[in-house]
Amino acid sequence: MAWHDQDSWLTWVFSPSISAIIVTALIALLLPVLIHTILYRTQAQASTASFLLLGPSGAGKTSLLTLLERGSTSATHTSQTPSSAEITLPSTIKSASNEYRSENDSSFSGAQRFILTDTPGHGKLRQFASDKLDAKTLKGIIFVVDAANLSKESGGRAEEGLTEAAEYLHDVLLALQKRYTSAKTSKGPKELPVLIAANKFDLFTALPEKLVKTELEKEITNVRNTKSKGLLDSGIGTSDDAVEEEKEWLGDGGEGKFEFRQMEEVNVFVDVIGGNVTGADGPGVGKWWEWIAKQI
Amino acid sequence: MLDSFEIVSTSGVVLWSKQYVPVGANIVNSLIRDIFIEDIRTSGDPGQKPTYKKEGYTLKWTVAKDLGLIFVAVYQSLVHMTWIDKLLDNVRTLFTGLYSEQLKSKKYSSTEYPFDDYFDRQVQELESKNDGQPATPARRIPTTDTTPPSSSEGESAPAKPSVQGLKVPNRSIHADSSADATPVPTPDASRPASPAAHILQAKGLRPGGKLSRRDRQRAKTASPAPSSGDEGRPTSKGGKKSNTKKNRVWDEFGLADHADDNTQLDYSAPADLDEATSQAVEHVEESTWGKRTGKGEFVLKDLEDEMDEILSKVSAGKESSSNSTNGFVGSSLGAIGGLFRNVVGGKTLTEADLEKPLKGMEDHLLKKNVAREAAVRLCESVKVDLIGAKTNSFTTIETTLRSAMERALTKILTPTTSLDLLRSIQATNRTGRPYILSIVGVNGVGKSTNLSKIAFFLLQNNFRILVVAADTFRSGAVEQLGVHVRNLQELSAREGGHIDLFQRGYGKDAANIAREAVQHATSADPKYDVVLIDTAGRRHNDTRLMSSLEKFGQLAKPDKIFMVGEALVGSDSVAQARNFNASFGSGRGLDGFIISKCDTVGDMVGTLVSMVHATGIPVVFLGTGQHYADLRTLNVSWATTLLMK
Ligand SMILES: Nc1nc2c(ncn2[C@@H]2O[C@H](COP(=O)(O)OP(=O)(O)OP(=O)(O)O)[C@@H](O)[C@H]2O)c(=O)[nH]1
Ligand SMILES: [Mg+2]
Repeated sequence: MAWHDQDSWLTWVFSPSISAIIVTALIALLLPVLIHTILYRTQAQASTASFLLLGPSGAGKTSLLTLLERGSTSATHTSQTPSSAEITLPSTIKSASNEYRSENDSSFSGAQRFILTDTPGHGKLRQFASDKLDAKTLKGIIFVVDAANLSKESGGRAEEGLTEAAEYLHDVLLALQKRYTSAKTSKGPKELPVLIAANKFDLFTALPEKLVKTELEKEITNVRNTKSKGLLDSGIGTSDDAVEEEKEWLGDGGEGKFEFRQMEEVNVFVDVIGGNVTGADGPGVGKWWEWIAKQI
Repeated sequence: MLDSFEIVSTSGVVLWSKQYVPVGANIVNSLIRDIFIEDIRTSGDPGQKPTYKKEGYTLKWTVAKDLGLIFVAVYQSLVHMTWIDKLLDNVRTLFTGLYSEQLKSKKYSSTEYPFDDYFDRQVQELESKNDGQPATPARRIPTTDTTPPSSSEGESAPAKPSVQGLKVPNRSIHADSSADATPVPTPDASRPASPAAHILQAKGLRPGGKLSRRDRQRAKTASPAPSSGDEGRPTSKGGKKSNTKKNRVWDEFGLADHADDNTQLDYSAPADLDEATSQAVEHVEESTWGKRTGKGEFVLKDLEDEMDEILSKVSAGKESSSNSTNGFVGSSLGAIGGLFRNVVGGKTLTEADLEKPLKGMEDHLLKKNVAREAAVRLCESVKVDLIGAKTNSFTTIETTLRSAMERALTKILTPTTSLDLLRSIQATNRTGRPYILSIVGVNGVGKSTNLSKIAFFLLQNNFRILVVAADTFRSGAVEQLGVHVRNLQELSAREGGHIDLFQRGYGKDAANIAREAVQHATSADPKYDVVLIDTAGRRHNDTRLMSSLEKFGQLAKPDKIFMVGEALVGSDSVAQARNFNASFGSGRGLDGFIISKCDTVGDMVGTLVSMVHATGIPVVFLGTGQHYADLRTLNVSWATTLLMK
């Protein structure tokens, strides 16, 4: 029975029988609906917003992740591997894209969800973090610092804490800047917000937000200064593309004082917000939730 | 007593913990940092789990690599705990067995693990097995053979029996004969010989009763007095323990009958152990039984049955897996499937899969001039990482191995803290002191040259520099340094840099010259910012010259001591790095390496890895040529790319 036979299915399809018309009509009507749902589903799946938790060791990244994930903290130790969790915004906070959406809209809950990835803060393990910086779905970076371990006055350990945080933050911001400048050829990457989450505000030794910001800016200025005066590294000049021979400086050509505002030129917007993961008194994590919600 | 026991995921979340006494989080944190991240080696007895000591605590641990779990037991260093190894193993088996599903799920870190009852039972059981019992033969043999200073179990254990009123003849027979029978304390032999292991194994083997002939023989000879009344024993679990006690009969000829049915042998093991213990111990055990007749009996028994089942499943699994490899059909089919999956990916890696690629990797590293010791250990650690892991889709074992090795190299070469020399100089100068930097190394590696390069770099940053000729040994050394200083003076004159030479000729004590120079630098007006001390080259195995470094370190009090090593040097690099690192006495070591002549080795930069690997000390600078400006900091990804090329 070939396709051109009297009773082949092709002949039947083109015949004016009522059943053929019904089938055709059904296909014509249902196909767009089907395609719509399929596309919509996969789209929503793939583009779940993701956020990256960075920051020096002991800042409270893992604690924050567990708190946001399950609503209560658990004991933590130094992380060695990254971990991700899917988190739903609390019902009291609406994400930016949900602002005008009804709660009964099927896409509502999808847009309330995001993926948060915790990374190890130990100096030797930051390669994990830099691997993740160019993920497509990345909607923002949360850089956690221990606000109680930043003040210059307390001397000793705290000063190291500030230096370490500033160095790490400098490297992250520089990576983001490079991401922007190297992608200039096509349409540059979308803007990327950075939240500096000043943690441990429950402790009375914690610096206020303003000071956290200025101390970090000051210290990043120092880091940038010595980096610019430092030696070239062994990778430079050995790579094949001679274009990259120039070292890159963070912010305004590497001169003068560094301010987070300078990062806006490369579409990186920095906010400093205080909060605390553990401890009864303190602002908690409410403002950080709101920040996250604004980015989705 | 045990202070705390924690089960931590590698992502940093404590999944379950039991704290008898609060132990600060920093204790386990430093274990993770030092052992798991910095990879500091621990010396321990072979066949026993390694220990880590911190602030008066001793930590023992084990890992479940495939699930990313760390099991840590913390106890006071003053207490000797003989059964921790067993506890760790059992808890790991139980925990991974009970919660395998939850642990594999995405939400593993936010799941509750109601493990308390199981854990308490385990501790209780192991404690009662071990309390008042002489250290078992297998434990005593390694401790007396190797006599590590850290372990004093061997001393304390024999003292206990007499206190407990143990029948001395019994014990001595037991210990002697078993010591004869197991002369070599291999880990394999020691495992089944510990009492708890006997019981676990016996339980585990009950259904099939499979024990290799050799094992049987060993169990037999290790137990001088198998009971003979075993045949009539019921095999129900509940009745087992009490039966072992009832049927305890000393059989003088037990050793002779080797051809016994093996199930009988299995039961003889615990029986014999009970036999070896005293009445007192029995009494203790009886009391724990009595507890179980109370209201909680049912729950407890349930738990125990479940635990037995899990533990036995695992040991049975081990048996069967070792047996199944012999099957011809199974292996050849498996090989074909393996080949296929090797191409497509999604293969679970086994030791056999990795053997050949790892050998290739090791050879590759050796070709890159990585010292053998470092190459072997790197491959070893990558192997441990990969066994049980699944390859990604469309990646071969080789690719998987490569990326794992790349990760391992990156981790080794990345310094823990920043190495910004300029900033630490500034910080020191703010306190009103000059920054003191000294350079050591074997002869002819380029100490003076690299010192001048550093001086040049610092001059460009407008520091006032004093170069100290503390090589009072090799003729011409002072003059050579003088030439460098003059060159640098000329080079930097226009930019207003300032550099001077401090020298006292030959033959004087280097340490004293260094101290004098530091005093001079501090009192000079204007002060010097940096003191750079060149030292005499010395063979790292020349004990006389090496020992003078300790005094040098004490008198000169350098802020940083860098060792210069040649990129060309091969297997010697490890010994060089180690000896120099150890030569400054306790509490002081090297702060960094300068690897010279990197331009001459092409991509064979293995020396970097060897030296860092041997000591955990980072590479600060690379010398890359003949000019003063040919000094670089290390770019880790550059180095790993070269090494993996
Ligand atoms: N007082 C106080 N302590 C906190 C707070 N948040 C976290 N901590 C504590 O800080 C310590 C470190 O927290 P982690 O979350 O493990 O730190 P981390 O950033 O994940 O560190 P790494 O995994 O090493 O990178 C823990 O002991 C927490 O209990 C807070 O808001 N206030
Ligand atoms: Mg963490």
